[in-house]
Amino acid sequence: MADAESKRRLILLALLLLALLSLAVAVAVGSVAVSPTQLLAVLGGGGEPLHHDLILTLRGPRAMAAFATGGLLALAGALMQILLRNPLADPYVLGVSGGAAVAALLALLCGAGITLVSGSAFAGALLSTLLVFGLAHGVGGWTPTRLLLTGVVVAAGWGAMVTFMLALSPARQLPGMLYWLMGDLSYAGSPWPAWLVLVPALLLTLPLGGSLNVLARGPLQAAALGVAVRPLQWLLYGLASLLTAMAVTTAGSVGFVGLVVPHMLRLLLGNDQRLILPASVLAGGSLLTLADTVARTALAPEQLPVGVITALLGVPSFLYLLYRSR
Amino acid sequence: MLLIRLLIALSVLLSASSLWAAQRCVTDDADQHVCVPRAASRIVALSPGATELLFAAGAGDQVVGAVTFSDYPPAAKNLPRVGSYQRLDLEAIAALKPDLVVAWRSGNPQVQTRKLQSLGLPVYYSEPRHIEDIATSLERLATLAGSEQTGQATAKSFRDGMAALGARYQTALPVRVFYQVWKDPLMTVNSQHLINEVISLCGGVNVFADLPRLAPRVSREAVLEANPEAIVAGGMGEENDHWLKDWKAFPAMAAVQRGNLFFVSPSTLQRPSPRLLIGARTLCTQLETARGRR
Repeated sequence: MADAESKRRLILLALLLLALLSLAVAVAVGSVAVSPTQLLAVLGGGGEPLHHDLILTLRGPRAMAAFATGGLLALAGALMQILLRNPLADPYVLGVSGGAAVAALLALLCGAGITLVSGSAFAGALLSTLLVFGLAHGVGGWTPTRLLLTGVVVAAGWGAMVTFMLALSPARQLPGMLYWLMGDLSYAGSPWPAWLVLVPALLLTLPLGGSLNVLARGPLQAAALGVAVRPLQWLLYGLASLLTAMAVTTAGSVGFVGLVVPHMLRLLLGNDQRLILPASVLAGGSLLTLADTVARTALAPEQLPVGVITALLGVPSFLYLLYRSR
Repeated sequence: MLLIRLLIALSVLLSASSLWAAQRCVTDDADQHVCVPRAASRIVALSPGATELLFAAGAGDQVVGAVTFSDYPPAAKNLPRVGSYQRLDLEAIAALKPDLVVAWRSGNPQVQTRKLQSLGLPVYYSEPRHIEDIATSLERLATLAGSEQTGQATAKSFRDGMAALGARYQTALPVRVFYQVWKDPLMTVNSQHLINEVISLCGGVNVFADLPRLAPRVSREAVLEANPEAIVAGGMGEENDHWLKDWKAFPAMAAVQRGNLFFVSPSTLQRPSPRLLIGARTLCTQLETARGRR
């Protein structure tokens, strides 16, 4: 038992190092070359004004936003997969991103500024959450299957509304709108709201690891073992939705991270939620930070949307792990 | 002694006034006050249209960075690139150390242009919506870049050229026009659009002027029903006029019957730049041809 515990610590420590490394790379690399000495000079509080701007105003906040978004999405994905007991669940499966996109597009169509657009994206995501929650409850009982079906259908509804609005929107607004559907960190604003959600959420889920392990085996067994199943499910749903809403508000609907990172970690580390949840945050954050670094440097000065890179990096590595697994 | 004091006072006054004169301020299309401490010498343009306006305003030599597709004038093709207008490479812009950034108000991501402002860069938001706006943009940009002479001359010849067209076609018989912005989906413009203003200037009447949206999608049926006397199309490129051939499948339309299918190279009519005068002249001549075929 003590052995498993120390192994877990070791893995988390390694992932933490990966996370720090990814942030360091994100700050050090860009379309303008900054030498390590110049980088250290800026971090030490000195350096040239240009490097100061590059690192502290442009790269730093963007790297932090990328990391937080990746962490939020991976954690939300892991929670959704436990809640719905469905490997295909990702943070967007219950329509949270669709609600956010519809609200953001509406605000954009009304000519709102960025703050208002972000605000309405967040509101739309939460509205969609409440809608799905209320509808899934219905007159009968509240089961994960019912929740999943309700969410998928509501998401399809949002999708139709998005298509409708895109069809009606002026051509020159299209690029700004597509961002909400594709996910792109070059539009990300301040990273701190995302961190303010991510850190407390992770701290909240850590002590629940044991109960979640039991819940992952099925609600009946969990109930038999003394887990308060219903409140735990509600908590999972609310938390995952909040995390997703925050992620979508920060960077649009970045795909793939929320689905694949928890699965990759399960393939590598086994299905112990006490390990998987914090590991998801660290690995998801690192993946998105590195992917965004590639997105803004690979073809610089041409900038790519980060979703392309997460998929290009994630698909082959996930397929490899899946192929290798027994 | 008095003389010396007077001289000192005078020199102080002069230097103060020269400082005053050196500060250059204009109002941009977002109604912001944009000031540069001295004539801007390192300008980054964030849209192909802005690049074109700057060159026309006489500030071409001071432009040090542009976005992709900035292809006019030819000298703009060799400028260092700072990403595309929808996704700017902020680092590349900062590294150019510009003293003025000319942004596209509705095209560039607001988050990114704000970030440039937060770096302390003066940002001029450009968004010419009317023919006259092009002339004023030229003057304002010339003021910021210290190229007033060229800028005002270009603005004047643009205004004069447009006014001459207006005077000439003021009393011309109206021609019903369908302007085709895009083929799939079929798109046109409404009365709020700059192109509509050019059509009116030439004595044309845009058949879809009353639609509520700026660049509405319309069906082929709606075009048939409107039965325009002339169809004017842009295109995928500067010489590609194949969009017009498709209309020949409807010989009952007045425009097809009379052979009034016209092509205006899109960069002269769809970009808010002084080249609009060339596009306007072409369009006016075409509509005049259409009048002759009645």
